[in-house]
Amino acid sequence: MTGAADPTLHTAALAALETALKRALDLAPESKNELARLEDCVFALHCTAPSFEIYLHPGEQGIRLAGVHTGPITTSVRGEASDFTELATSNDPTATLINGGLELEGDSAPLIELQQILATLNMDWEAPLVATLGDVPGHQLAQMLRSAFAWGRQASASLSRQLDEFIHEEARLSPPRLEVEDFYRDVHELELRVDRLQSRTERLRQRLQMLRG
Amino acid sequence: MSEKDTTHFGYKEVDKDAKAGLVGEVFHSVAARYDVMNDLMSGGIHRIWKRFTIELSGVRKNNAVLDIAGGTGDLAARFAELVGPEGRVVLADINDSMLRVGRDKLLDQGRQRTIEFVQADAQYLPFPDDSFDCITIAFGLRNVTDIDLALRSMLRVLKPGGRLLVLEFSKPGNPLLSKAYDTYSFRVLPLMGRLIANDSDSYQYLAESIRKHPDQDTLLGMMEDAGFCQCEFHNMTGGIVALHRGIKA
Repeated sequence: MTGAADPTLHTAALAALETALKRALDLAPESKNELARLEDCVFALHCTAPSFEIYLHPGEQGIRLAGVHTGPITTSVRGEASDFTELATSNDPTATLINGGLELEGDSAPLIELQQILATLNMDWEAPLVATLGDVPGHQLAQMLRSAFAWGRQASASLSRQLDEFIHEEARLSPPRLEVEDFYRDVHELELRVDRLQSRTERLRQRLQMLRG
Repeated sequence: MSEKDTTHFGYKEVDKDAKAGLVGEVFHSVAARYDVMNDLMSGGIHRIWKRFTIELSGVRKNNAVLDIAGGTGDLAARFAELVGPEGRVVLADINDSMLRVGRDKLLDQGRQRTIEFVQADAQYLPFPDDSFDCITIAFGLRNVTDIDLALRSMLRVLKPGGRLLVLEFSKPGNPLLSKAYDTYSFRVLPLMGRLIANDSDSYQYLAESIRKHPDQDTLLGMMEDAGFCQCEFHNMTGGIVALHRGIKA
């Protein structure tokens, strides 16, 4: 007998999430083709807060989500929901996996590949718009959306760059990355020197005691 | 007539040899509107129950799967995707009307190459020993005349290490839910059957057959007695439905 919680809600939530993911991937055929390369991989996400488990089975049809899996797992990741969000939105997933709060077991390369496919999902809105509105208005609306998204991405990147520059250079609210790295290097060097000095002092103290004794 | 020669058909006591025919009549009657009625009666939740069954089945590429009482082929269609072109999926049903509806639906979906259709009695499965990696029976076991005989037959055709999954209506644990469920089953279901399928008797039988079906622990014991090991069950939607799983050693 099992004492596990009623799986109905969890299964329903996964079904809804899988449908949403499928719709998004249907609009991004290139990403779907890339997912086919990960067909034999199974990714296990163990979330500790809130507590739940999801198994991802990528394939040429999209990504199948399951709450239960029996069999080999390619990559298993354990952590809190905030850690998973950080990984999902990270520009540098490798650094996030190394420095973040996630525990990883298995092969990290397929997981990074999956993260990059999902993070760079390039959805083509034209097909459903043309199917709904007709050729000419659908195409024109898709062009407008594409321009708006491109402008939005450019504006966001530019804003981020300018904000970075303002914080570091204009307002001097935070030191630039290179300066911080130099500082840490100096601190590390100092720590090593102190250690060496402490060893030398200890040696001299022992020699002095021997001479006295 | 001795007690041993009778069995239940809903709340009626009938001759054992007559039950299959009576159940057959019910399913001949509901086959054409089976999917619509399932969605209406369960509010679509039967899809979630079946989805969890597929998750727990552990079916993967190249597996051989038997879906008994497969009806209109919901599970078989999903299994066909999971096992791939090198795998094998058999949709079996004792009722030719249900099998025909399922076969037409799946052929319309272009699955004729991956799914075999077999008219078979769960008590006497027409397959060699050790044939399947997984067997499922969803909302079918309570209609079988001799459940013990059917379980032993399923054990025989499973490969060692193979899984049996029984998805079936069961007993809700919460008394309030149980009362609401009773009201729904005996008042709303026959009414829906009369209004939508023009057949209240079949849906009355559905409600009665659920009440006569063994509860979670009894069915678990029956699976163990039949020879399955590592038997367990998962209650779903408060125990309205339970998914039992057993493994052939």
